[in-house]
Amino acid sequence: MNEQLPPASKLLQKLYLTLFLRGRSSRGLKKDEAPKSVASKLKGTLAIYLLSGLLALTFIGQPPFLLSLYLHGMTLLFLGMFVATTAGEILFNKDESEILLHRPVDPKTLLWAKVAVLLKISLWMACAFNLVGLFVGTMGDGGTWVFIPAHLLSTGISAIFCASSVVLLYQICLRWFGQERLDSLMTMTQVVLMIVLVAGSQMVPHIMRGMKDSASGFVGEWWIFLLPPAWFASIDQVLSGTAGRPIWGMALLGVGVTITVVLLAFGRMARFYHEGLQSMNESRPSKPRKIAKRRLIERLADLPPFSWMLRDPITRATFGLTVAYMLRDRDTKLRLYPGMAPIIMMPAVFLFQGGSDSISDFGVAIAGGYLGLVPLLALNLLQYSQSWQAADIYRVAPVTGPAPFIHGAIQAVGLILVVPGAVILTTAVLLLPGGVENIELLLPGLIAMPVYALIPGAIEKAVPLSKPTEEAKSGARGGLMFLFMMSALIVPSIAIAAQKFGYLVPFLAIEALAAGGVGWFLNRTISRKKWDALE
Amino acid sequence: MIALHQLTKRFGLQTAVNNLSFEIPAGQIVGLLGPNGAGKSTTLKMLTGMLTPTSGSATICGHDLLEDPMAVKRVVGFVPDSGAVFESLSGLEYLEMIAALYGIPANAARERIRQFIAFFDLSFETLTDKLLGAYSKGMRRKVVITAALLHNPPVVFFDEPLDGLDANAAVGFKALIQTLAKEGKAIVYSSHILDVVERVCDRVIIIDQGVVKVDGKPADLVAEHETISLERLFTSLTGGDDLERKAEDFAKTFRS
Repeated sequence: MNEQLPPASKLLQKLYLTLFLRGRSSRGLKKDEAPKSVASKLKGTLAIYLLSGLLALTFIGQPPFLLSLYLHGMTLLFLGMFVATTAGEILFNKDESEILLHRPVDPKTLLWAKVAVLLKISLWMACAFNLVGLFVGTMGDGGTWVFIPAHLLSTGISAIFCASSVVLLYQICLRWFGQERLDSLMTMTQVVLMIVLVAGSQMVPHIMRGMKDSASGFVGEWWIFLLPPAWFASIDQVLSGTAGRPIWGMALLGVGVTITVVLLAFGRMARFYHEGLQSMNESRPSKPRKIAKRRLIERLADLPPFSWMLRDPITRATFGLTVAYMLRDRDTKLRLYPGMAPIIMMPAVFLFQGGSDSISDFGVAIAGGYLGLVPLLALNLLQYSQSWQAADIYRVAPVTGPAPFIHGAIQAVGLILVVPGAVILTTAVLLLPGGVENIELLLPGLIAMPVYALIPGAIEKAVPLSKPTEEAKSGARGGLMFLFMMSALIVPSIAIAAQKFGYLVPFLAIEALAAGGVGWFLNRTISRKKWDALE
Repeated sequence: MIALHQLTKRFGLQTAVNNLSFEIPAGQIVGLLGPNGAGKSTTLKMLTGMLTPTSGSATICGHDLLEDPMAVKRVVGFVPDSGAVFESLSGLEYLEMIAALYGIPANAARERIRQFIAFFDLSFETLTDKLLGAYSKGMRRKVVITAALLHNPPVVFFDEPLDGLDANAAVGFKALIQTLAKEGKAIVYSSHILDVVERVCDRVIIIDQGVVKVDGKPADLVAEHETISLERLFTSLTGGDDLERKAEDFAKTFRS
């Protein structure tokens, strides 16, 4: 009896979905306890998206086009961030190329299988975010139940557009710059994508505010044809049977652009993906080291305060290792810099918010607060590595706990991210009109920074490069980080109030004392930590 | 069965494999030897379609590597030295997935998997219940070897296949490849364990810096170069002289 085998694309989709659900490493994982569906794997994340979707309730009674525009804008933002941060790792994995590249699998099939799984996960997130909006759309001015299937379809099309665009962007970069620079290229691509998305997310509320009372006034303007959310919102209108000519034009543009992007990404440009995959197998001779850059880092590490912090040889060695991974390891760079992009963008957003002649005290204080968060986020991301098993060597060393490794990573983040960030932000504030008057408002964030730097080590033993990359995608972890980011707004807000009443200096003194006390406690917590048993 | 003609691979300015030319007939076991960085793995990756040659050509079972890489991939089996697997799959899930990629129906695949696990002394329960990440290095290597042979390829490339295997499994494996060769398969065996290569292989090719240094039967090469063993021949050809003195110097650095 002839058995019907599923096509390779189905097989590979099943494989990648399983790898997404179980993760790529198996330490601590039991087959029977692994999540069986996307919903069970992402329940925390989906709950956050569902809650965020409640904001659609503010559109009750508004025209459905405006609601669609908002929903598609935010959906593209969320999906774009998800796809941008995960695509590099999913599309280019060295171990995987050793397993699959010598098998009879067409690179296009491989690419499509990966993107199909990305799409499936994206659609779960999109549906969670849009769930409330689907029903709000039926209640709006002229809304009917047809809005539900129409918006579900347009969301599917926008998810395809989003995933395919990211894939196409990689291929265009490979085409233009070649596979030799794949590593730095992928990092750069993802960082740029994240910055564009974060900047876009800041524009959405402004556009919405301007449109709320005169949505129809914008339809037909040339610039709205450039906004992808408007294309997909127009599809909702067309399918609901309430579209005029400009709306039809935008809907057709959306469908046309999506088809073009898909055809290019999975057709003509697919060979560049194959070349990118091959480069994973190349054992290129290492380029001459950038000796000047290395010497500069070594020299800076020899200067106070780093020289004081790096007296312990293990701390110093961990510092060197972490710096090397931050500057040279593709996997680390792909996680770290795109992950940091939103938080690096936020100070700029706050500084330039309002568009008035001078920067506001609020903008300076919040920018300082976000700078203070940089070590927290960076150390959290630096825990993960594709070569995490190599970190077992820490336990082989005659050291009772992870403290020196944690401190080494903190110093590396300090040198590579915090010092340049502080210099750039301070210079920007000083140069901007009204900045000199408010420069002291950077201090609350900077004083809180050492405390934030110690939190990852004290809470969850943030030993650098020691955890599998899949653990970085936990919804609970994302929620915790979100809470810390919110808390970072509290201290600067109090500082602004203190400045208004003339109590800024006493406030800073109290904050410094409190930070010293909390810092001492967290440091002691880290020093007392012991290694967990290996599973 | 395998024919290379001036096969070359360059990475930037460095030439990893330089005008490599040889042929391997059916039923022959060829040991591919060379020091670290000699170009062995690059050669194997080119012959399995994982890397595109910079120049030159190769045919495997009559299929041109550049013209029809998919046809080449269907007729080769490859055991990479990394032994990479999808760690979060069970052994059975992994092997069934690989079998399906070669178009082997599930029933036939399971029958072949049973034969291989019997040969390698693995239990079916281990294969179904445990995830590959929890396997020992040797067990994982057995799964990787099984995955390379499941589709009964006429050409098999082994890159350090004994790495991690226990003594019994290693003896069994050596017998296996000799049996496979008798059945007409062409086998390329890349390894650093020279005495195994000497015993198992019909022919040895030593490459260094991407070029062939010697090519012939192990006994003939030893006699031709008037040396006492393949190991001596290897070290003399690849700049491994004076190793005893270097070891002594190394040990000295730890003496107070």
